[in-house]
Amino acid sequence: MLRFQKTGYHGLYFPDIGVALDGYHPKSDYVFVSHAHADHMPKNRSAKAYATSATIDLMKLRGFRGDATALDFGQSFETDHFKATLYPAGHILGSAMIFLETDEGSLLYTGDYKTPPSPASEGFGTPETADYLITEATFGLPVYRWKPIDMLAEEIRTFATNSLNDGDTPVFLGYNLGKAQEILHILAPLGLPAMIHGAGHKLCKVYDDHNIDLGNYSAYDRDTCEGHILVTPSSALSKGFASNVSRKKVAYCSGWAANESRRTQLTAHKLIPLSDHLDFFDLIRFCKDLSPKKVFITHTPNPDVVQHYLDNEGIDSSFLDLEAETEE
Amino acid sequence: MIIITNTNPSFRLFCETLQAIRETRSSNAKITCFANYLRSIADEGELALAVQFTGEGAFDDLSAKRASVGSRTSGLAASEFCDIDYDLVFKPCRTATGSSSETIERLMENIPVAVEKRTPADRSLSEIMGIFKELADLSGRDDKKDLLHQAWSRMTPVEIKYFIRILGQGSLRIGFETRSVIASIANAFNTDREQVRYAHMITGSLGKTVILAKNERLHEATFRLFHPLSFMLASPVESRSVDDLTQYVAEEKFDGMRAQIHSDGENVRIFSRDLNDITKTFPDVVSFFSERNLPATVFDGEICVYENETIQPFQLLQKRMGIKKPGKKVLEKYPALFIAYDLLFTDGTPIFDMPLANRRKKLQQTCDEYHLPVTSQFKIGSFEELEERFSLALEHGNEGLMLKKTDSPYEYGQRRKSWLKVKKPGGSFDTVVMYAHAGSGKRGGTYSDFTLGKNDERYEEEFIPIGKAYGGYTNEELKKMNTRIKKLAVERYGPTLGLIPELVVEIEFDDIQVNKRTKAGYTLRLPRFKAIRWDLGPADVNTLQDVEAFFAKRLNENRLAQHENPSFKFSV
Repeated sequence: MLRFQKTGYHGLYFPDIGVALDGYHPKSDYVFVSHAHADHMPKNRSAKAYATSATIDLMKLRGFRGDATALDFGQSFETDHFKATLYPAGHILGSAMIFLETDEGSLLYTGDYKTPPSPASEGFGTPETADYLITEATFGLPVYRWKPIDMLAEEIRTFATNSLNDGDTPVFLGYNLGKAQEILHILAPLGLPAMIHGAGHKLCKVYDDHNIDLGNYSAYDRDTCEGHILVTPSSALSKGFASNVSRKKVAYCSGWAANESRRTQLTAHKLIPLSDHLDFFDLIRFCKDLSPKKVFITHTPNPDVVQHYLDNEGIDSSFLDLEAETEE
Repeated sequence: MIIITNTNPSFRLFCETLQAIRETRSSNAKITCFANYLRSIADEGELALAVQFTGEGAFDDLSAKRASVGSRTSGLAASEFCDIDYDLVFKPCRTATGSSSETIERLMENIPVAVEKRTPADRSLSEIMGIFKELADLSGRDDKKDLLHQAWSRMTPVEIKYFIRILGQGSLRIGFETRSVIASIANAFNTDREQVRYAHMITGSLGKTVILAKNERLHEATFRLFHPLSFMLASPVESRSVDDLTQYVAEEKFDGMRAQIHSDGENVRIFSRDLNDITKTFPDVVSFFSERNLPATVFDGEICVYENETIQPFQLLQKRMGIKKPGKKVLEKYPALFIAYDLLFTDGTPIFDMPLANRRKKLQQTCDEYHLPVTSQFKIGSFEELEERFSLALEHGNEGLMLKKTDSPYEYGQRRKSWLKVKKPGGSFDTVVMYAHAGSGKRGGTYSDFTLGKNDERYEEEFIPIGKAYGGYTNEELKKMNTRIKKLAVERYGPTLGLIPELVVEIEFDDIQVNKRTKAGYTLRLPRFKAIRWDLGPADVNTLQDVEAFFAKRLNENRLAQHENPSFKFSV
């Protein structure tokens, strides 16, 4: 089997082929990056990064200064020791699963992924089969099953229009990269003016360039934001974001919104469990369909639960201890 | 907001209304929502159950009946129903959501086997009440589980969640407590909120209250002797500002057990603060009153152990609490005395509505006439005087002072500004965090409950647990602590993390109690966080010897005898 080890908090390093995934290793010749979220992006200047063009554009806007080569989905990158192919991961724009084929067998590394995919991504695709699968399991418990995206999109649009009709300013809480743009994309058909937090706003351009419709949006402006649809990370809300608007209605959009406890923790009017990760049931189904020899589970505090269900399917698995996210 | 037009309400509609209330933020909107729902119910039995389930639980406040379905029973039953492993799957799910009933709701929704087993049917609230009664009559866990399976197989997930919460007799956790239920009743039937509250105080039952309100018969609510009334509660003085001391009178705050005594001739009943009948626990207090042969009277006051003209420490009263039939020896060793401080019923009428000053006058007369112990009241002119009184109260071995507003009525079941407690914190210790437990409810998904340790060289282990604490920190601090905790974690036992003992917190408590079931031999009363001591390390924490010393000091503290400067008056 292909040997690999941890590097940094989230990264993996494959010494036999000189490849690092979502992290940097001093001896790595190639760093494949699944997507542009901070915990997956290499920070080191000397990293030679390979990723989709959208991911590279986003990484650059978020401070990546190293050397970067763009790969298209499905386009293979080959050396004497391995062949790497990117598959659309459905997580955020540019997100990719990395498929490595070597003499020691094939391996699919999911990064963060979602199937059915986010509407603000390039969709989802996968190789027919892989010998080994390294999968995230952020929502690896059977309490997590997502409603169909159409239903969630309807909830989002209804929340926006109802709030505006009542004379309130709707505020959607979502992470700056990915979730914020997904919300704008879902709201776009309404044609209503939206304002997005500055840190998220500068990333919207990449979505425009890749033809994802974000509708009628502009950067957040404190003085004129009242009566607009607002999109911001939850952290900004406690730091004065739109604090001059007294009538606000807050909706928290995240997979974690499935948990009632988030309502009081965030004092949100509405919880919309819109996740950019796949749910537990799709995770088990995905593993079953791919039927690898072995599954490595990462990014979860509960690997035992996923392993228990994979055991029931007759799939060998073990826990790969990479730092788990507790917040999307 | 939902508009309810259904005239034949079902348990499902009821639960959907509760969920709508949960998802509404404004309390007025919540009240309107519930009021609309109440108005839509034609059947009185159903109406009474709707408010009872919302504000009291499966069984009403006056009933001693309980279904006794614990979270383990419902968790195990749900795991079997969903065909999942309780320890391996259910428990981590519960840790993630922070709520057992929410976990069950979502598993019922998500797990295909569970969805197949359920065929929701419209059932009335009285049918559901029938199930609660059946559960109460069953004793074995397996029988209860079978009945739960049967019940759940005809419910939606939301129904199942509230079914479990109502069974628990606790809060439904929808941000809608008794006060809101009362407001909704008033709103639904166009009556005065105060009148509804009064009727509830008298009847002790939301169900009875709503029927009276619907029939415009609230005025018929009359007090009945030997049925407990909810107690008026005090707020900590720190949380309220007192501008004008002259509006208040002071009494010493006894370190005893709050009690309500109904006395009529030879008949005497004693009720505890949670409205349980504790008559049998205190036969000495009962005979004290029956010997005096009072006309029908209801007192509010405190039971203390009283010996050698001194109020004894709470630790000694504890030897009496919970003993259903105390033996002669216990009665002799720890004699109990009831000290009255309020009068709720006299001369054949309830007098809650009278201002405190008037109630007090009548109390004084009754106590003089029948030789009953009654608190001393002091007028307080200045904050200096308050300080003096406070020190004196402590010298008596009492907890501090109560400030009571002279023009206030007896505010049943409420914690407002009319009664204020001035209490000195018992003490504080620096302790090390040994274990972090995943929080529940509002703090779900965070590590927010902590086991705290102290070191002691007599034990092999470096640290001995002294108690658990949660709350008292800000969200920011909790976040910072969680980050640190993750780094210190070395073991995991389900929802609990074992930590390298490094994080030091200062913990405040009211008192120390002996508890032989713990390794330390002591537990803290009302432990809570005072500060997270980022500046201290594990070597700086207090030792078990400090705990022992504190306890000994408490027990042996010289208490001023009552014949000089009495905190209560007792003319034999």
